[in-house]
Amino acid sequence: MDSDAWKIIHIPEKPSFPPEQQPIAKVYASVIKPKFTNTIVRHLCKIAPLEDFRHIKRVRKKILPDNGETQLTVILCLAPENNNHLNDMPSDVQKLVDPYELSPFVTEVSKFAAVSKEEWEEQCKIWPTSFHPPTYNIDGIGGFSEEDTQSICKFMSLAIDLAVSGQKSLVNAAVIVDPSVKRIIASETDQVYPSSAPCDMTIPFDETGESNHCQSLDRVTNASSEICLNSILEKLNGSLSAVACLNPWQWSLQPHDTEKCSQWHPLRHASIVAIESSSMRDRYMFPNSSENAGPDHSQPSNADSSAKRQKTSSHSPDVQNESGEETCRGPSMERPYLCTGYDIFLLWEPCTMCAMALVHQRIKRIFYAFPNPTAGGLGSVHRLQGEKSLNHHYAVFRVLLPGAADNALDHGLKHVAAES
Amino acid sequence: MAPVEEDHCEDSYNYMGFALQQAKLALEALEVPVGCVILEDGKVIASGRNRTNETRNASRHAEMEAIDELIRQWRKNRLSPSQVAENFSNCVLYVTCEPCIMCASALSFLGIKEVYYGCANDKFGGCGSILSLHFANSQSSDLISTRDEYQRGKGYKCIGGIMAEEAVSLFKCFYEQGNPNAPKPHRPVVQRERT
Repeated sequence: MDSDAWKIIHIPEKPSFPPEQQPIAKVYASVIKPKFTNTIVRHLCKIAPLEDFRHIKRVRKKILPDNGETQLTVILCLAPENNNHLNDMPSDVQKLVDPYELSPFVTEVSKFAAVSKEEWEEQCKIWPTSFHPPTYNIDGIGGFSEEDTQSICKFMSLAIDLAVSGQKSLVNAAVIVDPSVKRIIASETDQVYPSSAPCDMTIPFDETGESNHCQSLDRVTNASSEICLNSILEKLNGSLSAVACLNPWQWSLQPHDTEKCSQWHPLRHASIVAIESSSMRDRYMFPNSSENAGPDHSQPSNADSSAKRQKTSSHSPDVQNESGEETCRGPSMERPYLCTGYDIFLLWEPCTMCAMALVHQRIKRIFYAFPNPTAGGLGSVHRLQGEKSLNHHYAVFRVLLPGAADNALDHGLKHVAAES
Repeated sequence: MAPVEEDHCEDSYNYMGFALQQAKLALEALEVPVGCVILEDGKVIASGRNRTNETRNASRHAEMEAIDELIRQWRKNRLSPSQVAENFSNCVLYVTCEPCIMCASALSFLGIKEVYYGCANDKFGGCGSILSLHFANSQSSDLISTRDEYQRGKGYKCIGGIMAEEAVSLFKCFYEQGNPNAPKPHRPVVQRERT
């Protein structure tokens, strides 16, 4: 395949701006007498902590050029965005003005912590900030090798193939991959709407059947990816309304045919189904390796949940194929903790629900082809990779498909947004 | 602490008591102790507790378990998606801990009516602590203001702090006994123990 036409771009933890055009915030500040510094800062930390602005230095030190004296300026508190009046200062802060001989004025600081030295240098021109270079290093943020790019394109093509095949309308698809051995762990599509195919007939781990994955993977590898891209273009004449992550609030508006096999579920977005499928694989391949994986805990809903586990989409029958292979590898194989170290390939940027599920499941890298302006959780609406409080952070990449399909789909998206 | 209206108080404690009961079941099963119940017209119609360790699926939070129970039931009764949506719009959730970003999004997608929670979730909370997904238009992006409101749901009323101490004390019990499924990257892998 022609990987030259594909582009992989990193989606950083915060919106990216040119260093000299970073967002700013307004604050109240005042020059202070050095002898009051400690007292004032202590007061301010209590009454006006700068919680989302930890990168900002509270006190600025300046040597005045004319007399060589040191001038200290302190940030009193945040100021309203579109108002330069001083009477909006909180009364607690206002109370400090007279005793400490303050003369408040409005000034600007950088809104977000710098992610690069260049940004930091620009920031310090308006108000000093601190800079902590990123300490983690996830493969790909510094660029991909030719081999990595090839395999990323291949797995993305597989996701596209899944999304367009066997469904009446375009849906999202999710392919979870162990990149260390280039093995597919799970591949699923949205199950929000009843599918026209007889669904849930696949028994997950029986001994029959060929691996669908291997077939489709070979097909993708051998054939040109244009096949996929062309089929996307065709489907675009239809609607994107069935893509779960793009329209997560719209599930109830679909026409419903009760006569059909009805396994619809408003929350079974592709990522959620793929996570479930990878956890089933984990339990199947490592049945005894968890201390509490023994007999089921007697819970009323247990029968239900095991019934649910029986259910797997027609896209994942390869598990038995893989597992045969895996058992041959013997006891040296390590059991993964959830999806640690795994990648996921998605046609569309996941919604906040799916993006958070992928945090919980410890996915290492997310690759998606198209942004999700209605509910995206990775930069379009929210940006979970930049939420510091979360206990896990993945790296996020957008895969730009070769020209035509990309533009057409972006166009299609605008169309959908306009019509709904 | 609980900012609950006076006449709702007693009922709230009762319902949260049921949710705490579920959380205790989770604790007994060596799961992170979170539990919930879903009510319709003041009647408990579903319950759930965390099953992330048992299923090895970290998205199997109490809320998801309870939601799935309801959807299974309603689908079995051949309700249409719009009837299911109508049902959810009359449902109230009591959960021992603030819904995480995933669950808070899910509850918004389903169009649930109200959510009452115990303790706040200052690491993952999606109902005010980290994000505010219960507001229909909380999105910070400027892109959003021009879009149609109906496209992103109605949002739901959300009140926290009901029996928060009880919920927290269950977490303390759990972390004292240790999470058997926490990652131990430096330990030889479990697989070797079974020959």
